[in-house]
Amino acid sequence: MKQLIIITTLLISGILIGQTNYEKGMQKAFELWGSNQPTEASNLFERIAKAEPDNWLPAYYAAQINVINSFGERNEDKLSAKLKRAQDLINDATAISKENPEIMVLQALLHTAWVAFDGATYGMTLSGKVVELYTKAKIVAPGNPRVLYCKAEWDMGGAKYFGQDTAPFCKDIERAIELFANFKPETPFHPNWGNDRAEQILESCGK
Amino acid sequence: MQKLAIIIIALISFQLSAQTTIIGKVFNTKNEPIAGANVYLEGTYDGSTSGADGSFLFETSDNGIQTLVVSFLSYETFRMVSDVTHMKDIIVKLREDVSALDAVVLSAGTFSAGDNSKVNVLKPLDVVTTASALGDFVGALQTLPGTTTVAEDGRLFVRGGDANETQIFIDGIRVFTPYSPTTNNTPTRGRYSPFLFDGITFSTGGYSAEFGQALSSVLLLNTIDEPDQEKTDIGIMSLGATLGNTQKWDKSSLSVNASYINLAPYNAIFKNRNDWIKPFETASGEAVYRKKTNLGLFKLYGAFDATNFELTQEDINEPERAYFKLTNNNVYLNGSYQGVLNDTWTLFGGISYTHSENNLNIIETTINDTENSLHAKVKLKNRISNRLKIYFGAEYFATDFEETYNDEAIDKVNYGYNNNIAAAYAEADIFLSKELAFKTGFRAEYSALFKEFTLAPRLSLAYKTTSKSQVSLAYGNFYQNPSSNILKFNQELKAENTSHYIFNYQYNVDRKLFRAEAYYKTYDNLVKYDTDFTNFDSNYNNNGSGFARGIDFFWRDSKSIKNFDYWLSYSFLDTERDYKNYLTKAQPNFANTHNLSLVGKYWVDKWRSQVGFSYTHASGRTFTNPNEAGFLNEKTKAFNSLSLNWAYLISPQKILYASVNNVLGFKNINGFQYANTPDINGDFNRRALQPAADQFFFVGFFWTISEDKKSSQLDNL
Repeated sequence: MKQLIIITTLLISGILIGQTNYEKGMQKAFELWGSNQPTEASNLFERIAKAEPDNWLPAYYAAQINVINSFGERNEDKLSAKLKRAQDLINDATAISKENPEIMVLQALLHTAWVAFDGATYGMTLSGKVVELYTKAKIVAPGNPRVLYCKAEWDMGGAKYFGQDTAPFCKDIERAIELFANFKPETPFHPNWGNDRAEQILESCGK
Repeated sequence: MQKLAIIIIALISFQLSAQTTIIGKVFNTKNEPIAGANVYLEGTYDGSTSGADGSFLFETSDNGIQTLVVSFLSYETFRMVSDVTHMKDIIVKLREDVSALDAVVLSAGTFSAGDNSKVNVLKPLDVVTTASALGDFVGALQTLPGTTTVAEDGRLFVRGGDANETQIFIDGIRVFTPYSPTTNNTPTRGRYSPFLFDGITFSTGGYSAEFGQALSSVLLLNTIDEPDQEKTDIGIMSLGATLGNTQKWDKSSLSVNASYINLAPYNAIFKNRNDWIKPFETASGEAVYRKKTNLGLFKLYGAFDATNFELTQEDINEPERAYFKLTNNNVYLNGSYQGVLNDTWTLFGGISYTHSENNLNIIETTINDTENSLHAKVKLKNRISNRLKIYFGAEYFATDFEETYNDEAIDKVNYGYNNNIAAAYAEADIFLSKELAFKTGFRAEYSALFKEFTLAPRLSLAYKTTSKSQVSLAYGNFYQNPSSNILKFNQELKAENTSHYIFNYQYNVDRKLFRAEAYYKTYDNLVKYDTDFTNFDSNYNNNGSGFARGIDFFWRDSKSIKNFDYWLSYSFLDTERDYKNYLTKAQPNFANTHNLSLVGKYWVDKWRSQVGFSYTHASGRTFTNPNEAGFLNEKTKAFNSLSLNWAYLISPQKILYASVNNVLGFKNINGFQYANTPDINGDFNRRALQPAADQFFFVGFFWTISEDKKSSQLDNL
């Protein structure tokens, strides 16, 4: 009986302190993000990353928040500070999980943020890097919908600029949406974003 | 046992229930609150984000000694180790991170081109998109202040120094023969393709103790660490063709590049002042291999080029025109390794080998020379903290030069020299704050040729006056052994010497950059001789001296006008020297008093084109008119040139490029050649030294085939 109490107590405390801390933390961070508190969310993801040195996901999300928030930032100092932070976090995530297509997509988006900020300066130097990342990610994970749709969106931007037909890339988007329908993330916290954006792009395709 | 169980349960439940509250506030060093800082106990989930007033509050179930961490963008991370119960009403003062982008930079004398556009004057692409540069990195640098316009030469003449006083380094290792040979009325080009480099640092004075054997300037070229993608580059130009290929593997990559230039078709269409027997022809190849190791990067760079041409040129002393023939073969190998030893130590080691052969036929004379040179270097960096970095290193230069001379009167004379130099240096970067930084060090050299030991101190400091501007001061002492032109005849000399004093002001706001730099340079121990040309019979000494002083201005604005980027450089130079066979102290013929460059690039989105222009104005250069009294007693008229270029992006992979140099056709005169003997009236006749052609046209088509393009086309089938 005594032993049972001890075991139960240890188990309970184990669950409360250990395992669920990660889940609680991640859930809380997503909630903060969802309620438009990106700084708090990114800080929490960073804290989780520090406490879970073998898990690439918290660093990935902390980086993603910094990348997404840098789109539309017109102040170069603020932009470089954010993207430098995001790059450090991506480096941390890559150190834990190598050859990861999700991290490659995020790295490509980080370069895209620079190109979006100043195409004349960064377009020619970073385009090659972006293309290389998507190509590599596609080889590693041909069935990943995010790889396919982010690559297609990037290619469409280029095709529009050079006055070329964007129809072939619309097909890629269609295929990405099919893949999204069947995509099962490894855990509830693994990346599962992008379907909405892909559908938005497809809508604009017909026009 | 029972008691133990109770104690454990009690402890656990105590732990569960005993929440400690951690409270505090985050400020910067100016006592302004910092919002958004990440505050947490290291290794736990407990933490929070500071609010608008800098305050934070969170609870933790951990107890005992913990580490409180406070981090925020562009500040140094704060750590406090303490018992959690003492973490109440903590006032955290975050120090600004001196490695942040807006920190003071040690920049006196230096122009950088790289990816970080904030501290850089040029972007890597500027090299190939500057109208007058024709894809030559040296040509692009000649639009920066501090350089003088010596149009027929093409090398870098910096702040009253001659071209030999500028040294070029690839990945930190010396290049002994950086320039392609040309005729005496056509500017030379750098031998190496600008596409292999992603960082260029051009220092016009006061540079680090790491670099020696350069009196005036150093140019540092860094090869790309990792190429972006596998690709094939094809270039078809009015002057020849280039072919490049890049392959990537898991940890390594290889880029090769070959080019062939032949001026025969161009010369057939556009007349010039040379009579070609065998037009200029050069074949060259380059390769870079890179391999990543666990802790570092190994690079091997190799370049080969072979050039030949044969022609006759007008000459005031040769009624039949002067005959000139040249063949040059050049091999350059450069291997380097850079790696981290641990958290604070970094190691770099590199070695380069140059083999150069020149065969010259000048009228009736034959000169063959061979140079074998080696440079080996080891350096260590210790990053003690963000605020203190220490560098030291040692290097060895070896040159073996041999020449054979043969003419009607002299039958095959052999001569040459060995110039070996050992050097060591130590230097420290000290950041007292984000506003004030020092770099100080010294360099010691021992020349085996002269059995001479020299010690050269260097010092620079930078102070940030406002968030957008800074002032810098730099001082340095520099030694360089005389050039092969002198050493091949006489080795009983010593190193030439300069001192630089530099004051720099820099203002940098929102992609606009203004720089002003004033300098004073003294020259000592310059080599003098007493004949028209260096020779065995000349008497040599180190009694020459000189000075240079001036002010350089630079303004670049990439912001004010949409899609328009321009820069303006102006240099004022006052210099006199007494060296070589000068009769008196005088302004040398390679030094213009005023130099002005205006470069602009406009991106026309609708046309997917970049159009650019580049205008250069340089005041006249000195020459000696023997019909008047005095030495270097007259000046040529000013030099003017306007160049235009146009780059059209046909598709992301295809670029059409065209340029015209000196579009307005200014008739520039670089100097005068006077007859050796006076005519019957006692006057010395003269001939104007003009460029081979007043204008130059270039058209090229460049096509990049990347692996991705192939694969995506296959997908679409």
